Amino acid sequence: MIISTNWLADYVQLPGTVDDLVERLLMSGLNHESTTSVGDDTAVEIEVTSNRPDCLGHVGVAREAAVLFGRPLHVPDPRPLEAGGDAARSIAVEIHSPEICPCYVARVIRGVRVGPSPHWLVDRLATVGIASVNNVVDVTNYVMLESGQPLHAFDLAKIRGGRIVVRRAVDGEAFTAINHKTYALTERMCVIADAEGPVALAGVMGGAETEITVATTDVLLESAQFAPLPVRAAARGLVLASGSSYRFERGPDPAMVEWSSRRAAALILEIAGGTLEHGRSVAGELACAPAMIPLAAERVGEILGIDVADARQRQILTALGFVEEPGKAPHDHRWRAPTWRRDCWREIDLVEEIARIEGYGRVPEDATIPARSSELSSRERTVRRAGEVLVGAGLCEAMTRSVVTESLAAMPSPWGETEPLTISPPLVRGADRLRRSLLPSLLEARGGNVAVGVADADLFEIARAYIARPGSQSAPASPVAEPLLLTVVVGGDFASIKGVAEAVFAGLGVSGDAGGSAGAGLRLRYRPLDLEPFVRGRAAEVMLEQAGRPAERVAVMGEVSAAAIDRFGLAGPVVAAELRLDRLEFAIATELSLVKPSDFPAVQRDVNLVVDEAVAWGDVEDAIRLTAGDLLETCRLVQVWQDADRLGAGRKSFVVALTLRSGSGTLSGEEAGRVVDAVVAECGRRVAAVLRG
Amino acid sequence: MTAVPLDSFRAELERLRADAESALSAATDDTAIEVARVEFLGARSGRLKAIQKSLGGLAGADKPAGGKQFNEAKNAITASFEAARNRVLSSSGLQSESAIDVTLPGSPVRLGHLHPLTRTIRRVQEIMGRLGFESVDGPEVEDQWHNFEALAIPAEHPARDPLDNFYLAVARGADPLLLRSQTSTVQIRVMENRDPPLRIVSLGRVYRPDTADATHYPMFHQVEGLLVEPGITMAHLKSVLRLFASSFLGGDVHVRFRPSFFPFTEPSVEVDMEWGGRWVEMGGAGMVDPAVLEAVGYDPDTVSGFAFGLGVERIAARRYGVDDIRDFYRNDVRFLRQF
Repeated sequence: MIISTNWLADYVQLPGTVDDLVERLLMSGLNHESTTSVGDDTAVEIEVTSNRPDCLGHVGVAREAAVLFGRPLHVPDPRPLEAGGDAARSIAVEIHSPEICPCYVARVIRGVRVGPSPHWLVDRLATVGIASVNNVVDVTNYVMLESGQPLHAFDLAKIRGGRIVVRRAVDGEAFTAINHKTYALTERMCVIADAEGPVALAGVMGGAETEITVATTDVLLESAQFAPLPVRAAARGLVLASGSSYRFERGPDPAMVEWSSRRAAALILEIAGGTLEHGRSVAGELACAPAMIPLAAERVGEILGIDVADARQRQILTALGFVEEPGKAPHDHRWRAPTWRRDCWREIDLVEEIARIEGYGRVPEDATIPARSSELSSRERTVRRAGEVLVGAGLCEAMTRSVVTESLAAMPSPWGETEPLTISPPLVRGADRLRRSLLPSLLEARGGNVAVGVADADLFEIARAYIARPGSQSAPASPVAEPLLLTVVVGGDFASIKGVAEAVFAGLGVSGDAGGSAGAGLRLRYRPLDLEPFVRGRAAEVMLEQAGRPAERVAVMGEVSAAAIDRFGLAGPVVAAELRLDRLEFAIATELSLVKPSDFPAVQRDVNLVVDEAVAWGDVEDAIRLTAGDLLETCRLVQVWQDADRLGAGRKSFVVALTLRSGSGTLSGEEAGRVVDAVVAECGRRVAAVLRG
Repeated sequence: MTAVPLDSFRAELERLRADAESALSAATDDTAIEVARVEFLGARSGRLKAIQKSLGGLAGADKPAGGKQFNEAKNAITASFEAARNRVLSSSGLQSESAIDVTLPGSPVRLGHLHPLTRTIRRVQEIMGRLGFESVDGPEVEDQWHNFEALAIPAEHPARDPLDNFYLAVARGADPLLLRSQTSTVQIRVMENRDPPLRIVSLGRVYRPDTADATHYPMFHQVEGLLVEPGITMAHLKSVLRLFASSFLGGDVHVRFRPSFFPFTEPSVEVDMEWGGRWVEMGGAGMVDPAVLEAVGYDPDTVSGFAFGLGVERIAARRYGVDDIRDFYRNDVRFLRQF
């Protein structure tokens, strides 16, 4: 809303400087956007919150200034001279949809001379950024900017059948607006029609057919109440927002319907001549039911934390236009809200009015609250710990969009096979699919870095994915699951990404480093995985196994396929992993308990096990750990090698370094030997391993 | 016994100094330096010691000046000795086979970086955590109740317009779902499940259809605080925000309230904090609207509360001098590595 200070001064004596005015308005709820000199006038742009349509007119802003500076407010009382015929005979008004138009007032002025506006009117409109059209249209704009009540002037001669009908539009009904564009309306919108069809889109824009031109002599002046929803439907649906629609969406002062009609009629008579017909043609009843609001005097202190004397509370409310009515108890007050403050209907609303006029500067900033402890949730601790591990490992945290393009969303998700969910409108152009995995976004982010010359952007992101739950679109379960994912993209081979993932698992306490209690009772099992964007045969899923629960997938990882490297513009070998933090976050809550390091010496034994090349290390390791039990401190795979001459074709060797140690005594060579023998025997049974001498 | 003239005492000192300088500058190894040290600085029979003895032979009036000159000479010779020793040490070091060029670069240990938005959120969490606020998060796909109705945003409110929200194509029964437009949704969820007293900070991604430009992005982050306890007033709100501002910005920062409007708080205010000598808008705040308290089953007559919200991108942009908030989502590591 742009205010002309010259115009404002018509209603209230302004303070010495514009800055004083701006500062007080700013500190009482009308935020300042800009101040600009326009000729001998000053344009002050203020931000009016949606609850204050009363300040979408100069009178309303002047009222605020009058209250803030303790000065009287002068609002004109227009009494235009009526002569000639009877308006109600000139035009009949019918409202077919009172729920969207409670009241419609028409006045008729005959014999006007449409032409240029006088300088004062052109200047005032120019100050607030409105171009002059002609004297009649300018008056309707002027009065709207004065009272906040939008008006419309029709060329009465173009209204067919002598009647105005306010009704819902018919779906598909065509309407040509003043901008000479034709729109297809819907039944959510409201039209002003004559005997044959729409002549205005109610509360939004007039029609081209009935607009005021230099040929116009008889004017039909509309002042009406329109409900917010049909106005918004038209303004938004047809992209036709106007000063009128903006105000009707917020609800002008009902009392200004009649005032504005008289005010505009008086100004038209003054500057365009003509004769105002007697009376008015009215349909419906003004929707105006001022609230009666109780206010307990102590309530202000209870909310604001400051004392505002009873007399001062009364003074503020009275100045704002609230009218006191006797309450039940001596100190209870009831206040009738003014018609222009329909945002005020509860006690708390009155408290806010008192607060903003009294000023928040009085609210102290040294009140104390009792101390309370707070803790981080398991999720928060998990997210932080994972971030620490990855930052320590040299990765940068990325943030990519939750909503992706159809082609990015098409990549299969490790976390659900249901189709991606869609949103409207798209987040950004072309991106209307909620992502089911972060992998495509992060590969894209790495590719974006290659494009700016950084080939080795090692990235991670922690964010949610969105998976449609099949067949659960009924309450109470949400049809959308939101797993919390940790996704990593780095350069390297499978071992590189597995190392990163293992560090995260260890950091979260899902797996332990040697010897501790972390990860007790949990097992991570790696299994081959065939899933885009990974290379077939060089990717894994990780299953978390724990007693009493079914195993569940907690991660996928692998080497990124050549096709994906090409698609995302990546350079060199790239690997990626995605972890389900929501399935891992329980572990961080597990209290650790010390496993006391043994004081007895360790025994080292290397074992060289020859197996068929199809045997997986994981199976060998299982056999070793199971057999060696508590005596096994570490089991380290030193080397894997194949040599057809020395091992035979289709055979490979695992060289394993075992560290054995007892917590209760020195392990003898024989005892260690027995453990190794048992390990070898078990590996023989399970995977037909043979000890290589 | 006649007194030693001050002039000859000084001449002797000068000579000693010159001799010491030339002996030390000629020395090329430890041995030569040690020989020179004994000759000039030796505690028993060094030449300096001998001159020190003649200090006693000066006339009483000359003694202060003589003592001063002696000390100057002693300090100069000692300094020359140290310089010579360092010179010999370093030259012998360079000649050693294990010596390295210590100016060569170290083996790189690549350091990762948290995103600046994460850093900003953590900072807010830390400060609020010390004030007893727990961090909470909730779903990003929300229903009408949590995103609107419980927050006193009725069906006809413009904020619910389909063009102003990202609605999903799926619904839960007849209840449309949308990407949350504010993290206040989480506050509703927490209040529905817990009784006061309550202090929480809800944080996370929120979504509003805005054309992306230097100051807008359709996806952004919010941090919102909520405190509900008996007897809470706006003075508590202002005081907590002042504590926050003082920690976050450093120093004794003041906050300023300007009246504003939000559906779920009343009274509502914009919060300005002093930053760089001027008032900077940091976010919105207010007393929790009684309608919101009632919606979650609290009694507005026995508890009151305040809430505040901060736009993470905005304060991070200001803090780090980022002039285009789209940069936060470009994931250019040349940007990310600076934080």
